Amino acid sequence: MDGLELCYLSAGELSRLIKNQDVSPVEIIDAHLARIGETDTTLNSFITLLPEQAKAAARRAESEIQAGDYRGPLHGVPVGLKDLFNTGGVRTTSGSRIFDTFIPDHDCTVAARFQQAGAILLGKLNMHPFAYGPTGENADYGHMHNPWNPELITGGSSGGSGSATAGGQCTITMGSDTGGSVRIPAALCGIVGLKPTYGLVSRHGLTPLSWSLDHPGPMVRTVEDAALVMNAIAGHDPNDVASSREAIPDYTTALTGDVRGLKIGVPREFFEAPLDPEVAAAVQQAIGQLEDLGAIVTEVSFPLFQHAQAISGTILMAEAAAYHRDLLAKEGDKLYPPVRIRLEAGLFITAIDYLKAQQARSVFNHETLQLLTDVDLLLGPTEPVTAPPILAELVQAGEQTIGTTAALTQYTRPYNITGGPAISVPCGFSESGMPIGLQLAGKPFDELIVLRAAHAYEQATNWRTRRPPI
Amino acid sequence: MPGDNPIRRDAFLYLAAQAGLDTNSPHLDELFPYVQSILSSIRSLDDIEVGISDPDMAFNPSPEDK
Repeated sequence: MDGLELCYLSAGELSRLIKNQDVSPVEIIDAHLARIGETDTTLNSFITLLPEQAKAAARRAESEIQAGDYRGPLHGVPVGLKDLFNTGGVRTTSGSRIFDTFIPDHDCTVAARFQQAGAILLGKLNMHPFAYGPTGENADYGHMHNPWNPELITGGSSGGSGSATAGGQCTITMGSDTGGSVRIPAALCGIVGLKPTYGLVSRHGLTPLSWSLDHPGPMVRTVEDAALVMNAIAGHDPNDVASSREAIPDYTTALTGDVRGLKIGVPREFFEAPLDPEVAAAVQQAIGQLEDLGAIVTEVSFPLFQHAQAISGTILMAEAAAYHRDLLAKEGDKLYPPVRIRLEAGLFITAIDYLKAQQARSVFNHETLQLLTDVDLLLGPTEPVTAPPILAELVQAGEQTIGTTAALTQYTRPYNITGGPAISVPCGFSESGMPIGLQLAGKPFDELIVLRAAHAYEQATNWRTRRPPI
Repeated sequence: MPGDNPIRRDAFLYLAAQAGLDTNSPHLDELFPYVQSILSSIRSLDDIEVGISDPDMAFNPSPEDK
């Protein structure tokens, strides 16, 4: 098998080859490092690459597996972490030159769990500075570029995670999602992105953007890989005050391919919002395919959807400003200007408005849970548009021209408010060849249902087999 | 403070100083209209009937954690 083929195998496929010793972790890491060498001058996915560390880890993994000490499906599989996941002994910049030399002295919980599972860290991935933006801009380390068309954005804030996974540079990447930062680049880069239930994956050792909205999640090329990653990283962590003690299932049990009788609601408000007709058509086609598979799809109403931006935006701005207040006072002029001004604006949100937004969040969550008593899942587009040009301030969504940030977070923010699981899976391509994402969302801790529906749809289509031209 | 002028410039400068920002910086001339637009946009929160709902508390443990 040639190197490029290895780079486009899923973690599930690689794990079966590794377990049978048909392929060595050393071959896999070498292939990925070669791929990164060929493509990263274009994509700019990595802030820090760890070739020697990764090669040494691959040799150790090879020895362990040859000695019969196989740890499980992630053993020997390449992983990349968004550069706000602390890694002991490896610099962690949060996407800002201010932290260019910051080297944490210990791993975040997610990194430690990947290491326990035998995954191999390839490097730290580029991101919108401090995760505060949905496009994948970064003046300090260079903008991220979409593998399907490098003139266009990856989406963000986990843009390097999106481009690395879609571009065959890394099998598994991790992002963090506060207003859509896993699902936005997943949709725009044509991969799978899962925002798990709040509290299911530890935030310990991640640079916060908004304590009550941050969700770490996997960005991968198949739904099976999302399940495999969740098996490795989900579960209680006493170091995270919000960590859940919910029992952790085997997430791969969701991969049945059977959605017969599953009730899926499609909020009509999603199609009344600004929306590109090509995206709408792809999502409608996906609805038809899920119906063909036996799902029961009904139209529902989600009136508070229109207020998601105000609720989420108010909470996010206040919490982000609170976390970064000292940095703004001391080194604000070193920040990327669009991020600086967003952070500073949060200093002017009153406590009354913050708490009003949290009250509204309670009402929003009540309405969403009511909807999810009648149906198992809510479905809609992940993004109203395909990837726009880098630094575009406005996008055209159907007949409306709207701000890029508002557009890109339009459908993702509701599920940061609720904290429930939401996944983006590829559901088509535009005429210009850019990926389109389908979003499925469920009740808190209903990951099995979300993964089940996403996997059944994925297996009934062949979108995952397409590769970007890079 | 509903309306087109959700914060006066003198109040903005006072709060900026309290937050440790350099109030002599020309950057504040850019920040002021941005803050006004943000504070205007979040007034749509007033359209949501919250009644006597408690604020959501994301960090509250679930009942089985207590």
